[in-house]
Amino acid sequence: MFTIGLLAGGVLTAGVLWLFSGLFTPLPAGGRQGLIVAVALLAALRDAGRLTLRLPQNARQIPQDVLRRHLTRGALQFGFELGTGVRTYVSASAPYALAVAVLLSGGSYAPALAAGLGFGAGRALTPALRRLSGNGEGWDNLLARRLSGMTMVCSVLIAAVACAVLG
Amino acid sequence: MRPGEFGHRTESGRPVSRPPSRARGSGGGVRTLLTDPTLPVAVLGTAAIATALYGPMLTWAITGGLAGYSLSGSV
Repeated sequence: MFTIGLLAGGVLTAGVLWLFSGLFTPLPAGGRQGLIVAVALLAALRDAGRLTLRLPQNARQIPQDVLRRHLTRGALQFGFELGTGVRTYVSASAPYALAVAVLLSGGSYAPALAAGLGFGAGRALTPALRRLSGNGEGWDNLLARRLSGMTMVCSVLIAAVACAVLG
Repeated sequence: MRPGEFGHRTESGRPVSRPPSRARGSGGGVRTLLTDPTLPVAVLGTAAIATALYGPMLTWAITGGLAGYSLSGSV
């Protein structure tokens, strides 16, 4: 249920961004593509610590109560709120780059749907790997040591893909 | 037979403490490797670069996956 919630949340946010993307279609395609690449590069610089930039986020944690009230429904709600990406902290810049790409790319809903599903699945990887490791505490420690590097590499990869596809 | 090899005891009869990973055998090492937090970044990154020019829809999904996974540790 948690993973279903994550996927649904990702699809909802991507869908809303896709709906708003219509507002930007009057802009020339070249300008929109340039903006997508520029934001992806800025995101990579921010995660590399080369740029200090405050980005909007809902600076709160999802209350643990949602899981205590009803386990199945709570897992679905918890996953959904995490999947939307707007109901809790956003500790990396890559989601912003993705959001801008969905917002400015325009066109069919299918890329937005794919991005939303991918986002939810990406979020689901963390608890899945932690559980599969069989040593949650050890996995948490390993993640804490590697998190900043991983975050930076994710942003750099997204910027590289944006440059390759649109550059 | 070396001391401590059989039954995890030394010649004096005292039990030998072993690291947990050794106690699980080589399967523990493979499991640790396959569940390494950096593995999804490597796999998704390679896939994103491989599909960037040929599979636009898959690239969107993989890019989304990278963005989602970059929020590891954030709840």
